Amino acid sequence: MIYDKSSGKIVDIIKNYARKHSLWIVAYGTGCGAIELPPTMTSRYDAERFGIRGSATPRQADVLLITGYLAVKTLKRVIRTYEQMQDPKYVIGFGSCTINGGMYWDSYNTVKALDRYLPVDVYINGCMPRPEAVISGFIELQKLIEAGKANGAKKYKENLDWYRENQRKVIKNWKMPDYNW
Amino acid sequence: MREKETTLYLGPQHPGVTGNMMVKLKVAGDTVVKAETHVGYLHRAFEKLMEQRTWMQSFPIVCRICVPEPDPNEENLARAIEEIEGREVPERAKYIRVMILELSRLAAYMLWMGGQAGTAGLYTVPQWSVGDRDYIIDLFEELTGGRIYHMYIWAGGVRRDLPEGFADKVLRTMDYLESRLPEYDKLFFENAIFQKRAKGVGIIDKDKALEWGVVGPPLRGCGIKHDVRIDEPYEVYDKLDFVVPTHEGGDVWSRAMVRRQEMEQSISIIRQVIDKMPAGEYYNKVPNPLNWYVPEGDAYVKTESARGEFGYYAVSDGGLKPRRVHVRGPAYVHGVSLLEKILVGANISDVAFIMNSLGVCPPEIER
Amino acid sequence: MKTQNINIEKEIATEIQNTFHTAEVNIKRNKRIEVKLRNDLIPPFLSYAKNYLTFNHLAHFSCVDWIEQNEFELVYIIYSYEKGVIVLAKTRIDREKAEFVTTRHLWYQAETYERELHEMFGINFKGNDRLNEFILEDWEGIPPYRRDFDTVKYATDNFYTRPGREDAKDVRENVTKINKEEIPEFAKEYSVRSLK
Repeated sequence: MIYDKSSGKIVDIIKNYARKHSLWIVAYGTGCGAIELPPTMTSRYDAERFGIRGSATPRQADVLLITGYLAVKTLKRVIRTYEQMQDPKYVIGFGSCTINGGMYWDSYNTVKALDRYLPVDVYINGCMPRPEAVISGFIELQKLIEAGKANGAKKYKENLDWYRENQRKVIKNWKMPDYNW
Repeated sequence: MREKETTLYLGPQHPGVTGNMMVKLKVAGDTVVKAETHVGYLHRAFEKLMEQRTWMQSFPIVCRICVPEPDPNEENLARAIEEIEGREVPERAKYIRVMILELSRLAAYMLWMGGQAGTAGLYTVPQWSVGDRDYIIDLFEELTGGRIYHMYIWAGGVRRDLPEGFADKVLRTMDYLESRLPEYDKLFFENAIFQKRAKGVGIIDKDKALEWGVVGPPLRGCGIKHDVRIDEPYEVYDKLDFVVPTHEGGDVWSRAMVRRQEMEQSISIIRQVIDKMPAGEYYNKVPNPLNWYVPEGDAYVKTESARGEFGYYAVSDGGLKPRRVHVRGPAYVHGVSLLEKILVGANISDVAFIMNSLGVCPPEIER
Repeated sequence: MKTQNINIEKEIATEIQNTFHTAEVNIKRNKRIEVKLRNDLIPPFLSYAKNYLTFNHLAHFSCVDWIEQNEFELVYIIYSYEKGVIVLAKTRIDREKAEFVTTRHLWYQAETYERELHEMFGINFKGNDRLNEFILEDWEGIPPYRRDFDTVKYATDNFYTRPGREDAKDVRENVTKINKEEIPEFAKEYSVRSLK
């Protein structure tokens, strides 16, 4: 790797390089997309060769994979899970229904555009995306991390009011702890 | 001394829970005193959405009700429409449908095996079984174009004929899977860890099983021989030769043994179907899908899925769109009322294990 | 339907008719019997069917909204493993004052169905003390599965919807330009046809 002044400090480059090779996913199957994760993680596609693996708790994880549509009830839990995660953290929107509602465009119980509620770094489209597409989405994320452009968490912190406003519009009974990060 | 009771929230973010649901446990020590399931995290209002769409547009919706095994849903909706209309299905389409249903049952059992072993801490089994499941998924992909959601069965027949050489591929895959079964026995079913964990855990009372609405492998695991495929044969199951395995005990172990033997039966059914499949049309002429009026009437149809009886109650008011389609997934009973009953007295570490053995699939409960 | 042997169905139908004179019993097809009852006769009928006719499996419990007649139709689908026959017991209740009695004492799992119908249609089942939140969370307004609830309006009012491509242009031109490919001749024709 050639050191380039424009891309930041050399420490950042090393940090990003290390981060991109260790992406742990929170084991939270939020929607039907979770069915393509076992093939992705096991012997046939073996995502672990890219440093991608599951993690049981949000506090040890780096990636929140939103596998599909989010019901309002789940959105509340997902926001809590996301806020519990430690930096660096990234969000991947998985499936068409996270992008524009997909086939649930007229459902009264699912949110239609995920990036209004959580900062999405990478979207993977398709219903359902194939394991190859999932891996390609992760590689896209790795490229963003290496270039230092995967700054969703920073965006979330800076624009917290905007995100909160959108979240509260959908979630009626807001009883959530405030994490002081 | 009585131990202090604590409340424990298992899920919705928990690696062992089968999908996106939550079980609120009251525990004393590590024994469950009271369990309460909370569902609704996957509610997409399918039944409402179907009322907004035409009958044919409902097919892409219904297959998303159950992710590990979408085909019984399509089969059910197709048969409900056919029953209301009195529409006949060509013989070849019936055989193809049975083949699809059995392939999806095998795939679902493969995935179940991975999940069941994973919750017992045996992480090699998912690497094998999910990998082998992909051979079936590849067959589906060649036949229907989709890995997970097929949208292949529809009212009046199936969407396309078998591609050239497909039957041979299916037979080859069956040979391979059959040769793998003894290996799975060695790795998983004869594994001392699994046997010790599974025996005597999560027992369903045999006398109460029918009344509680238990269906599918959990019912046959109690030693009661009931299966929609023999009780009320649909498609061509009455022309096929197969046995319905049962096992006494009603615990996780006997449910696992029932599923293990059913895998053999499924392989044998698929072979028979390919052997007996007649030539001919694979669908009957149907009206324009955008202008398909289904006459007034209602129908209750049921299919045996990998988890048990899958029922659809469909009502038509003579219009383009369904009046009401109400889905009864097997997990509707297994995942709420039954689970709450049999979790009492179990260990915390066995909760996810028992849920897996019952085949709880939350999207079926809330749809 | 083809003519099939429906002796056992006839037997059950006559037995039901003899016990419940006001019931409207008809055999829909083999293995399906439809019984229409007054709503106060449903609990005795279910108890009779379960205990005397061996219909011990509650397969389904559903509700259909007939908004034109201002009524809900409740459908109990019960199955006898012994006889292999399904009975669809139907009754109608008033839509405005939607109330019914619970059948939890007969089948424990009826509780779950009742919880769902309570939430989705707003039917109050007397005697069921567990009609709390089941699927929805913090829901306000009319129960969503009623026909007069407009899901499209609710979704557009409450959720942000991303604007889509409304021009319906053929995206392949842009895609081929980026990838420096050409659309083959036959495919061009196809794209024109599909736009018409």
